Amino acid sequence: MIPFDFEYYQPSTVAEAIDAFTMLDEKGKDPVYYGGGSELISMARLGNRNFGAVVDIKEIPECKVLGYANDNLHLGSALTLSEIIESKQFPLMEKSAGRIADHTMQCKITLGGNIAGTIIYREAVLPLLLTDSKITIASRRGVNDYWIRHLFHKRLNLQKGDFIVKVSIPQNLLQIPYFHIKKTTNEKIDYPLLTTAGLKTEGKLKIAFSGLKAYPFRDDDVEKVLNDEHLDFQERAQKIAIALSHDILNDLWGSAAYRKFVLVNTIENILQTMKDA
Amino acid sequence: MPKTGVGVTVIRKGAYSKVTGEAKYSDDFVLPSILTAKIVTSTQAHARIKKIDLSKALAQTGVKAILTGKDHSLLCGPIIKDRPPLAKEKVRYYGEPVALVVANSEYQAAHAASLIKVEYEALPAVLSPSEAIAPGATLLHENLGDYQIAVLDNYPKAKTNICGHIKIRKGDIGVLEDCDVVIEGHFSLPQSDHVAMEPRTARAKIDADENVFIKTSSQSPFEVKKMIAELFALDPGKVIVEVPFVGGGFGGKSAVQLETLALMASKAVGGAEVRITNSRENDFVSSPCRMGLEATIKLGATKEGLLKAAQMTYLVDTGAYSDIGPRLAKAVAVDCSGPYYIENIFCDSLCVYTNHPYVTAFRSFSHESSTFCIERMMDKLAHKLKIEPAELRRRNSLMPGFTSPTQVRITNSNFGDLLSCIDRVKELIGWNEGIYIDAGNDVVRAKGIACLWKTSNSPPDAHSSAFITFNQDGSVNLNCGCVECGPGMKTTAAQILSEKLQMDIKRVNVNMDVNTKYNPEHWKTVASMTTYMLGNAVLQAAEDAIRQLKSLAAVIIKCHPEDLEIGEERVYLKQDPTIFLPFAELVHGHRYPNGNSIEGPVLGRGSFIMSNIDLLDKETGKGKSGPAWTVGAQAVEIEFDKKEYTYRFLKAATVIDAGKVINPKIAEGLVKGGMCMGLGLGSREHFTYDQEGRFEDTSLRSYKVMHFGQTPQYLVSFVETPQIDAPYHARGIGEHGIIGIPAALANALSLAAQVEFDQFPITPELIWQLKTGGGV
Repeated sequence: MIPFDFEYYQPSTVAEAIDAFTMLDEKGKDPVYYGGGSELISMARLGNRNFGAVVDIKEIPECKVLGYANDNLHLGSALTLSEIIESKQFPLMEKSAGRIADHTMQCKITLGGNIAGTIIYREAVLPLLLTDSKITIASRRGVNDYWIRHLFHKRLNLQKGDFIVKVSIPQNLLQIPYFHIKKTTNEKIDYPLLTTAGLKTEGKLKIAFSGLKAYPFRDDDVEKVLNDEHLDFQERAQKIAIALSHDILNDLWGSAAYRKFVLVNTIENILQTMKDA
Repeated sequence: MPKTGVGVTVIRKGAYSKVTGEAKYSDDFVLPSILTAKIVTSTQAHARIKKIDLSKALAQTGVKAILTGKDHSLLCGPIIKDRPPLAKEKVRYYGEPVALVVANSEYQAAHAASLIKVEYEALPAVLSPSEAIAPGATLLHENLGDYQIAVLDNYPKAKTNICGHIKIRKGDIGVLEDCDVVIEGHFSLPQSDHVAMEPRTARAKIDADENVFIKTSSQSPFEVKKMIAELFALDPGKVIVEVPFVGGGFGGKSAVQLETLALMASKAVGGAEVRITNSRENDFVSSPCRMGLEATIKLGATKEGLLKAAQMTYLVDTGAYSDIGPRLAKAVAVDCSGPYYIENIFCDSLCVYTNHPYVTAFRSFSHESSTFCIERMMDKLAHKLKIEPAELRRRNSLMPGFTSPTQVRITNSNFGDLLSCIDRVKELIGWNEGIYIDAGNDVVRAKGIACLWKTSNSPPDAHSSAFITFNQDGSVNLNCGCVECGPGMKTTAAQILSEKLQMDIKRVNVNMDVNTKYNPEHWKTVASMTTYMLGNAVLQAAEDAIRQLKSLAAVIIKCHPEDLEIGEERVYLKQDPTIFLPFAELVHGHRYPNGNSIEGPVLGRGSFIMSNIDLLDKETGKGKSGPAWTVGAQAVEIEFDKKEYTYRFLKAATVIDAGKVINPKIAEGLVKGGMCMGLGLGSREHFTYDQEGRFEDTSLRSYKVMHFGQTPQYLVSFVETPQIDAPYHARGIGEHGIIGIPAALANALSLAAQVEFDQFPITPELIWQLKTGGGV
């Protein structure tokens, strides 16, 4: 039971959504955008989050787009993880989205919610970081495209009142060799101890991480070491682990030292598996 | 195709209403006028309550009453009356109910509850049993010496955190130091949760005639009636407890908690009906959980592996309040040897307060924890002496003539055939193919074994009863007070009646709910004692009915009642079955053609009370705790990755001596469910706390249970050695599937990883820590 009262708005266009949010904010109603609601409802129920109004973006057609234009695959922010998985257009995204939650929750969690919510793992962002995708943001200043790597540093840098409309992934990267390894404490479905996702283009590996630290990330220096042919696989793994040592997550799911151990093994496995890809 | 009796699989009573979603559970009864109560809970593990600010909450629309510790002076507990239903002056565990808001709607209650501010002054928190008994430890219950004790055989120690102490002094412990080999082990097992699908819920109302009605998801409706009547000084005849279907209990719903709060709430609003339902978080932490255990064990044996002496200290973490904790400590002591013969035992089992959530019964009533300890010790001994682990257990099995820790003499009837269970479980799991198999690529397959036994620790006067009535067509109604909470007790009771009357099970009707006003008393649906107690009562009631049927039929047929037999709803002459009377012409009396009627209706009445159960001797522990043991053997096979320290389940096998399997498919399902819980306990379930004792994994996001896709291949088999005093020789098996699984898993993993796991859950991180010391 959510123990407080709030208003519900359901805009049918981007402009209506922005206007509603602006109006509610100015009235001091502390509005939030609402996608699947899994985070919002859990947190509200436990008294960890209050809001005076929700603006439901799921009926905005641009937020539900799933198709191709201008050599890009466009995925709307209000698509559920299940819808994305079942579309079978982007195997790496299928894998990344597919291990986030149980099926029932996958039918509710939205792409935008996973990327811009408060839970730190944001595993659906990994394929976007790897493919240098674009992200379309609606704000009071209009609707604009950004490179995701410019806007995402630990989390998506949005202003109050902004929301994600869609992401655009270069079509030519959808089917290239990839890897996705998710390590958990002991479950098939759980928050990650370590999720690594990556691609191989032009003989080089790209890699992105979630669960290792309190935010998902790609690191150019790590990718250099990953592709350094002067070192054997074990040496590369060790060097990467040392480089990433500071601020490794330490929580209920696993200690920092254990995560580091898992990281070394995982990097070695990736190098082994992808060497002939 | 009619199905009759025991030993046959029949679809369980109530199955269709469950699978269609029609079945009603306690909180499914929607009443527009019902009020809702919500608890406000402590955010501290141990603290004085300085101030509770109710002002904002009281001003909210729809709020009818708010209660706190100041509004009552009740102390509850089945053994020691130490628990206030709402905290008074101090809180002793994170999640303890501190205030109770009663409002018109659930929303209004939740909203008002969120506006209540409590100020605490933190006190040092005691976070483990060993900490709790250390000299100078902070006391949780300064007034322990003044509490009322509801039983004769519990001895708390005032001015300490020890609320119960059972001693076993059998033989001569001096033998220990003369043994060929002595091994020692230390074990530490955390608390965990029942995680029943249906969270606890209760509702209460008082009518104009001052009858108190309580509807609750409980395994103990008659206990609820008794406790509520005592606590509120009510006439027990005016306390009516109703229990519809229960969505899983596992012991957690044998305790009385929400019922008390519901009635306090109802009283505060002039008797209006008030419901209170736990959120999942409340169910984890505010309502009682499974016990924790710390143990130190020394076993002495000959070099052939024969156990000679054991010295054991068990500390049961009972949490902030005792509830049934002292009985858990007793259960640990009673069966501390495992199903093995140990001539000399010196055991102290203490029940200890800590600032953890308080505990209650959990499937197998401490045996899942104590069995872990003894079965790990057996593997350590096997390893030390280089004796094959299954063989070591065979050599030490209790046999008729030997004695248990409390000096009960073992017989075939009260124990069963452990050796056959061991042999059969070895076959099922493929033990002789090898228990450590290197599969290459850093992968190892390993098997672990554990034996189990359990007797009950029910009070010596635990009892059950049953009534039988008939319908005009001769079909029968069984009226009984056991609760339908999963193991299918209603179906078991109906099958026993079906067997005795030789009647198609479809023609045996049984009440699926319990109402203490109409159903005859059954102690509690716990302890795997329902088949035994209720089954015997049902048999007695059936015999009573049969006597009446034969007596009446004898008059009409003009023969001796001894010449009559019953079957297929007829009473017939043994020497000529073509001479018979159908039940339909007897059960409501018999009417002659001229209209004269005699003798009826037929009513069957049966009672059962435990016999020769003792209070244990205070100094030696000598005494009979339960009518019999159920024994078994279990094994787990895992596949272990030596590089990553991860593992997965391949197979889990259980063989239990069931005496007589009443319903094969239900029995198999019951055991599999227990095994699944055991695997969950052994691999992933536990409560975690921060430094100050505040709960960290309060929801299913972080507290993990077994899921489909993670389960092994389950293998279940039964052996049948009669328990002579049991209905159709059937032993209790409800809990047993869980008992040896955490131990068998730990034994398999200890072998696979070549380290000793003396705790659970065993996670890959724990394996990595023990293997590598925790550094990179």
